[in-house]
Amino acid sequence: MNHTNIIGIYEDEDVLLKAMDEIQASDIKIKDVYSPIPLHGVFERLNLTTRLPYATFIYGVIGTISVFAFLYWTSVISYPLKFGGKPLNTLSFIIIMFVLTIFVGTLFTFLTYFIREKMYPGKQVTLPVPETTNDQFAILIEKTPDMTDTESNKINEVLKKTGAIEIKESEVNQE
Amino acid sequence: MKINDKMEKQLKISSGFKVVTIVLVILGLFTVFAGFYSGEGTRTWANLLLNNYYFMSVTIGASFWMALQSITQSGWSAQFVRIPQAMSNYLIVSFVLWFFMFFGLHDLFHWTHHDAVIHDPILLHKEPYLNIPFFTVRFVIFFALWIFLTQRIKKLSLQEDQFGGVKYLGKIELTSKVYIFVLAITFSLFTIDWLMSLDPHWYSTIYPIKKFIMAFYHGVTIITAIVIILHMAGYFPSLNKTHLADFSRYIFILSIIWGYMWLSQYMLIWYANIPEETVYYVPRIMAEYKNYFYAELIINWLIPFLFLMWNRIAKNPTALLIITLILIIGQWVELYMSIMPDTVDSHTISYIEVGTFLGYAGVFALVVAWSLSKIRLVPKNHPYLIESTKHH
Repeated sequence: MNHTNIIGIYEDEDVLLKAMDEIQASDIKIKDVYSPIPLHGVFERLNLTTRLPYATFIYGVIGTISVFAFLYWTSVISYPLKFGGKPLNTLSFIIIMFVLTIFVGTLFTFLTYFIREKMYPGKQVTLPVPETTNDQFAILIEKTPDMTDTESNKINEVLKKTGAIEIKESEVNQE
Repeated sequence: MKINDKMEKQLKISSGFKVVTIVLVILGLFTVFAGFYSGEGTRTWANLLLNNYYFMSVTIGASFWMALQSITQSGWSAQFVRIPQAMSNYLIVSFVLWFFMFFGLHDLFHWTHHDAVIHDPILLHKEPYLNIPFFTVRFVIFFALWIFLTQRIKKLSLQEDQFGGVKYLGKIELTSKVYIFVLAITFSLFTIDWLMSLDPHWYSTIYPIKKFIMAFYHGVTIITAIVIILHMAGYFPSLNKTHLADFSRYIFILSIIWGYMWLSQYMLIWYANIPEETVYYVPRIMAEYKNYFYAELIINWLIPFLFLMWNRIAKNPTALLIITLILIIGQWVELYMSIMPDTVDSHTISYIEVGTFLGYAGVFALVVAWSLSKIRLVPKNHPYLIESTKHH
């Protein structure tokens, strides 16, 4: 599906955050923001929500339970071998459970993230503005096909007014 | 400009607060006298030791937090540094209260009995370090260092209010660096002196570290509680959800570190299974103290770990306040488990335990509130103040 984005490029993070407020105040929907550094406040301004932490929690719980089940099965049911006078179902499970819980939680969170974002190793980067990996910030606003010229002019004006150093349009080919 | 007026607001202690704390102090005094009068001398001494250590360690933990903020040059916490600064005034009061403990040394510490030491090769070996004169000298030196350094940080911060400028930031940072270095050594030795030597035959190298983490953990907890209570009373108008998230992040990670230290100590002793070491845990897990053993772990690790993981609780002032109140009990249980099995036979909680704690809590609250009301609640010329009030 092809569509066009209007992109405003900014050079300063504070200007960017103020610009986001003003753009949203004039009833324009911001589609995305590109930044070379993690910015506090962008996430809240875009009203993004994520269910990823809940997924991580569930993976962690599953990890703890399955690792315990495996340890219990190997050292109590399948091959009960006493050593050091310790009980078969022992406290030393905790360290392995602790470590593997973190491992399972992290690994599956990564996998979930990659699948949801349709990412894979070796994928070509498609950046609307390549300078956003260097020193520039970009605000993307979607230009819908039914948008009139006055509306898109208004967007351009607002972007310029809020301190964008450059405004351009780009066609995006997305599968 | 309205928000600026509110920031300038000086803390006023309400008369109700004064009455309540003074009643608590009187209650504590009565409890202590009643404890001695009813023949429970050792138990009263043990409770006095517990509460002295409790509030002293909270203060040390809070001042350690304050030192960390200036060493890491944290911006978000700049408006809250006056709370640990006011808390550090309690160290002076604590020094006086500890001095009464020297009358109870014989009741609590086995190694102070000369006739017991000369028949015991291990205690005789430790005698050059564990003897009353050197013990007293160490005690005075440790407290002198803590009081001097925390008061210096406070004085520099107050001068910054008056004159402004960036040079105080560097001076406070340098003093803080010296302070945490001093604290690492002195607090460990202090813990060995007053808690670990209750059972002079037993030792654990992780014990002082665990107690240090406990102090830091509960110091931050008390700071959070004070900030939230003051915010509810109309101070700190710029406190927002991000500050609360940062405070609860502190509590969350410290609960994990505390649990890690707990496990490291217990696990090694359990695994090695050497009688000299397991003797510490035998009364604590086998007999009457079993419930406290599990309560300590559940309150101090499981509850904050499970609930603060949830973002909505971590950013909600009321929920966070409830967790800090639970943790206040948690620290008491931990110290109860450290002190009581070595000193007293009875394991029941009666009026002595509750009354002494309330008395000390009254003294602590009174000292902190009084010190806070004497200084500007929000540092005026702190270079990071704007970053702190606009923290997002």
